[in-house]
Amino acid sequence: MVISTFALFFYVRWLLKQEVEEELFSAEARIESALNAGKHPSSLAPIIEVLEVDQPEASFTKDTVIYDPSQNEMELFRELSTYKNINNKFYKISVRVLVVETNQILWAIIISYIVIVLVVFIFQFYLNKSYNKKLWSPFVHNLEQMKTFSLLSTNPIQLLDSEILEFSELNKEIALLTGKVRDDYENLKQYTEDVSHELQTPLAIIQAKIENIINDQSVTEVQFNQLTSIQKDIQRLTQLNKRLTLLTKLENQQFTYRENIEITALIDQIIANFSEIFSIALSFQKTNNILASMDPYLAEILCNNIISNAIKHSGNNGPITIAAKDMILSVSNFGLKPIANPQHLFTRFYRETKEVKSTGLGLAIVKKICDLYGYHISYKHVQDHHCFSIDFDTTRVSNK
Amino acid sequence: MKFLIAEDEISLQQSIVTYLEKDGNVCECASNYEEAIYKVSLYDYDVIILDINLVTGSGLEVLKQLKKEKKKAGVIIISANNSLSDKLEGLDLGADDYITKPFHLAELNSRLKAVLRRGKFGGDESIVFNEIRIDTRAKSAYIIDMPMTLTRKEYDLLLFFVTNKNRVLSKEIIAEHLWGDNSDLADNFDFIYVHINNLRKKLTPEGAKYIKTAYGSGYKFTEE
Repeated sequence: MVISTFALFFYVRWLLKQEVEEELFSAEARIESALNAGKHPSSLAPIIEVLEVDQPEASFTKDTVIYDPSQNEMELFRELSTYKNINNKFYKISVRVLVVETNQILWAIIISYIVIVLVVFIFQFYLNKSYNKKLWSPFVHNLEQMKTFSLLSTNPIQLLDSEILEFSELNKEIALLTGKVRDDYENLKQYTEDVSHELQTPLAIIQAKIENIINDQSVTEVQFNQLTSIQKDIQRLTQLNKRLTLLTKLENQQFTYRENIEITALIDQIIANFSEIFSIALSFQKTNNILASMDPYLAEILCNNIISNAIKHSGNNGPITIAAKDMILSVSNFGLKPIANPQHLFTRFYRETKEVKSTGLGLAIVKKICDLYGYHISYKHVQDHHCFSIDFDTTRVSNK
Repeated sequence: MKFLIAEDEISLQQSIVTYLEKDGNVCECASNYEEAIYKVSLYDYDVIILDINLVTGSGLEVLKQLKKEKKKAGVIIISANNSLSDKLEGLDLGADDYITKPFHLAELNSRLKAVLRRGKFGGDESIVFNEIRIDTRAKSAYIIDMPMTLTRKEYDLLLFFVTNKNRVLSKEIIAEHLWGDNSDLADNFDFIYVHINNLRKKLTPEGAKYIKTAYGSGYKFTEE
């Protein structure tokens, strides 16, 4: 660009010089012929000067700077001076032409270059932009599709085809990959479902047989205690199974039925039930009623799990405080240390300690139910208490 | 009483038979769909215990057949599937109760008795055990014709004892019957002891003598 600017500059300068000199010579020739014809052309300084001289000298061309009063500045002129013998008189003919200044040439070139570059750039910019937009539109569309991709929806991912080889290859791979992910997920789900289903019958057989053994007269007290201990383990396995099945069903979104549930009334009922089993004090501060539109079965599991979780982890240090206020249900229980990994709190089979016997699925189910209905659940540790809050107001959650 | 146990798992089928025959009931078995259909159309039963997943067909079809022939038998469905839709479908087709595997035989027995009471008399009836009379319609109990003021749980406990008389009931089974899934949350079953003690007091010495401790930690309701 810079080199071409200078090349152009020198070329233009050379061209101009040639042109100016041609003009000078032709003007000089015209003056000479006028002199030959006997006319005496009037001098027009500084453009044309005709002087009679005594001695001829060699002709020359030169650059000269002459003050131009009209523009009030020094101007560069090209001058041709020749000495001619006309009618035995020697004349010095000087012809001068105003020359375009070099820096002006240079500026002209630079400015025109800048203008050209700018115009080209702007044009290219918009052209490229519209072209790229067209070119990338399938890619952008597919990217959006991938962002909204969910394993839960049964529709296959909708990808736009593109003429570009790389993009269509990418599409192929994405379709393949999502298909595989979905298949794996389906298999895993089916596996969980099948396993829990197939376990039910053997469990039922073991349980029935144990009951018959117990009712046989020939059991000793030690054997009885061992058998009831086995029953307890079966019970645990059954619970685990039930919860896994429930989680699968929640993931499959098989709960579509809804009715208005008064959560606070449900809590009252659960507290009454729990206080028959546990000696721990359960206090319920009901500021306002909480109404939620959900499956009654899930509502019961939700409240049951969140309260039983608090009872289990309180270490018999009461009381469990349950509060209902402004659509927020909070349950808090005593616990000196905050949860070490709160990010795993709702992960299935995550247990903070091994001391408390649990299936490790209770809170995972709570979280899944909350997710299903768009309720916000949060955990915090305040004043030596673990506190879980469920916000039943879905409009408030979406504003967050 | 005559029962049909339609269950394709022979071990489970035989365990149920053993448990139910203790009361002097007659139990017949069907190990597949065809046998179930055949026996249902040929004989009359008081209660049919019906597995939904019979190896060669659906128990629900047996139920439909039964209702088509206008048989009066009570039906308890057993299923490995704990889904509400299955349960509702079974009950809609005219089943009297629904129980999910795995279950306690005592629980099955107590539901069976409830179905029998409802079926036989078109409504609930009184259960009499020597000095004790339970009015299942009013959910109240009497000891030597004196009304007892029982809590809901104490009433359920008494009914569970009487329907499973002569059988050993562990605390776990009792807890599960009374509190369902919540019972496994408890670290120990001392709370059962409290409830049984309260019931014993209310039964007065005449009634309390039937609740006996078995093997140190279980209970048995018996005349012996």
